[in-house]
Amino acid sequence: MAEEEDYASSSDMEEEDMSGFYLSDREEDVLEETVLQGLESQCEEDCHWSVSSVITKESLLAAQKEDLRKVMELLALSEQHARTLLIYYRWDVERIFELLEQKGKERLFSEAGVTIIDKNRATDLLNSSQSVNCNICFEDVSQNAVTEMDCGHSYCNDCWTEHFIVKINDGQSRRIRCMAPKCNAVCDEAIVRTLVSARHPDIADRFDRFLLESYIEDNNKVKWCPSIPHCGNAIRVEGDICCEVECTCGIQFCFSCLSEAHSPCSCQMWELWTKKCQDESETVNWMTVNTKPCPKCHKPVEKNGGCNLVACICGQAFCWLCGGATGRDHTWSNIAGHSCGRFKEDIAKRTERARRDLYRYMHYHNRYKAHTDSLNQESNLKESIQEKISVSESKQSKIKDYSWVTNGLYRLFRSRRVLSYSYPFAFYMFGDELFKDEMTPQERDLKQNLFEDQQQQLEANVEKLSMFLEKEFQTFSDDEVMHTMSHVINLSDVVDKLCKQMYQCIENELLYPLQRATHNIAPYKSKGLERATELSVCWDSDQSLRSMKNNNEGSCARWDLTVNVNGRHSGSRFPGSSSSDESGCSSSTRKRPRRDVAGGAAPFDLNMPPEVIDNGRY
Amino acid sequence: MLDVSRVQKELADCNKDKAISGVSIDLHGGDGDLSHLAGTISGPVGTPYEGGTFRIDVRLPSGYPFEPPKMQFVTKVWHPNISSQNGAICLDILKDQWSPALTLKTALLSLQALLSAPEPDDPQDAVVAQQYLRDYPMFVATARYWTETFAKRASVGIEEKVQKLVEMGFPEALVRSTLDSVNGDENMALEKLCSG
Repeated sequence: MAEEEDYASSSDMEEEDMSGFYLSDREEDVLEETVLQGLESQCEEDCHWSVSSVITKESLLAAQKEDLRKVMELLALSEQHARTLLIYYRWDVERIFELLEQKGKERLFSEAGVTIIDKNRATDLLNSSQSVNCNICFEDVSQNAVTEMDCGHSYCNDCWTEHFIVKINDGQSRRIRCMAPKCNAVCDEAIVRTLVSARHPDIADRFDRFLLESYIEDNNKVKWCPSIPHCGNAIRVEGDICCEVECTCGIQFCFSCLSEAHSPCSCQMWELWTKKCQDESETVNWMTVNTKPCPKCHKPVEKNGGCNLVACICGQAFCWLCGGATGRDHTWSNIAGHSCGRFKEDIAKRTERARRDLYRYMHYHNRYKAHTDSLNQESNLKESIQEKISVSESKQSKIKDYSWVTNGLYRLFRSRRVLSYSYPFAFYMFGDELFKDEMTPQERDLKQNLFEDQQQQLEANVEKLSMFLEKEFQTFSDDEVMHTMSHVINLSDVVDKLCKQMYQCIENELLYPLQRATHNIAPYKSKGLERATELSVCWDSDQSLRSMKNNNEGSCARWDLTVNVNGRHSGSRFPGSSSSDESGCSSSTRKRPRRDVAGGAAPFDLNMPPEVIDNGRY
Repeated sequence: MLDVSRVQKELADCNKDKAISGVSIDLHGGDGDLSHLAGTISGPVGTPYEGGTFRIDVRLPSGYPFEPPKMQFVTKVWHPNISSQNGAICLDILKDQWSPALTLKTALLSLQALLSAPEPDDPQDAVVAQQYLRDYPMFVATARYWTETFAKRASVGIEEKVQKLVEMGFPEALVRSTLDSVNGDENMALEKLCSG
């Protein structure tokens, strides 16, 4: 294919021409140059990376086994002690090892409530026929109805059971402490399970579930998918947790704030923005400043000129200054029979400000809305384009491959989203609300110009891409199709590059210099949002629960269970965990560069012209 | 369900040495309801609360002793960790630090300790805490005044009350002990005497 040779031969071209403003009437060779640049820039990966996986009800236990195993092996702990430790330190294994260095084993354990039983002490048990007084119910009970915890405190089984039930019902399953005053030890989960299930099996089941779900609830790297109705999945992210992911249920969301994916808006901006859009607070604001409610029908009335006697459309006249109902008999300076102590504030100034704020908001909101609407309309394109493709493919033509259309369409969706969210971003970036004191007006103008230039370029190219994709290419001649194809491919690439540039500009030029800006923005990914892949496990949940129940103290050997983690389970980045390398669990996929993983996950490679992919050059 | 036998044992145990410990606890009403109790603590020596007797309303939840008792000052008291408005108490062992191995007596003793050692950094009553930190002498004066006004009134004129009740036909010794047990509250004593 001729084109391919062009790509290869022009590999020495420079990337300096980053104007990115693509004009459709340029020469063809310029177009190809742009395509090429796209290929090269493909090689540079973002420094941000994150890999996400879906945790289902079935794989929940398997998902946490790796963390448990690491802690068990390195600290020579039983599974339940490892769990207690992990729950306390929010499943942050690296932090546990860090603290181990800093604090030492003893303090690390005692703070988390882990007590390792002193085997010597256990020998001086009293004769089982002897009865002892339980310190809780004050009753004499026989020695064999008494249970001693690892911390050395013993009470009668009835009291323990009651205590456990109260705590479980109170939602404190994950940290049921010993009953002794000021004792920080966490109770042995096996004892809790045994005692509670003897009386209330359902509560014991709940206890198990709470323990299992701690991996999601008490873990910064795992979160429930926010879908409604809930799909039952949780997502685990490794690497940078400031990212956007897609669950297998199809929903895309921001992992940090769990609302819809909103980059390049920061979470805080997005929260403010949605709130603002919801209560239209600007409109309300303008109305409070510019209108007064009619004393009769309570409609807001705006004064559009004239004197201070205002008449509502309902016929009621009232005094504009105090809002009180009056008669209609008046002069320019007073209203008959009405006098209010007139205290004039700088109403004009306030009005001016409110009006300006409102117009500003409307400007950004209209554009945000326009792009969101376009995105919705364009999603309908998906089907019509599929039809066009099948028509084209059945035609007698030398062009057989139409993947450029679908690739272009996905690029359009992706960039359309970026574009629409860039407006609320700009609203806050250059508004008074967040960064007023952080930039001088001059700085702000400079930055705003810089950003808006990029935004305008992106916008122009996105629209152009949209235009080409809507063409009725199935009716075109081969030459026309080729023409459209090259435009779509090039525009896709330009648009992708512009998106990337915009994110870079935001990070490096806009936000980075600001001192107090704590706005983390999920990085741009050419290939679209990270699709979480499922952890696949070779057992069912019942089995997994059972294994948990059977897990007795000290039995670290439950790890022979086969866990196929799909090559994604990368708890491998552990400086100190060399011993875990023998596990065989995921060692074969370790140290694999991330791109392979991500590439495998995405059904479309949005950047590559299809020919290139077909020729296996990727 | 409330552990009745434990509560009864606690009551007996607590009142055994009340003269020494300075804390006591009794049923609140005459109907034998074990979930509603009335505690008293005497103000610790060497504090602005010295000489006062403070009544505490004690309610036991059904999960007691696995859930903490609910305690509240009935006698008005000027203290950073006790609300001057409603007597609510800010004390960790009455909340998340409660342990079933603690008892009503230990809880009351902790309250007594709280009177001797306020923790203004974790206040229940911000106004009092502010005063405690900024103008300590003023705080002491106010606390002492409140003790005089609200925590000692019961003992003033105890003889009149005794006489009044004796005139109603109750034996003097019983009247004195009953008045003592309800901390000098005339109406409660009468109620108690009537219920036998």
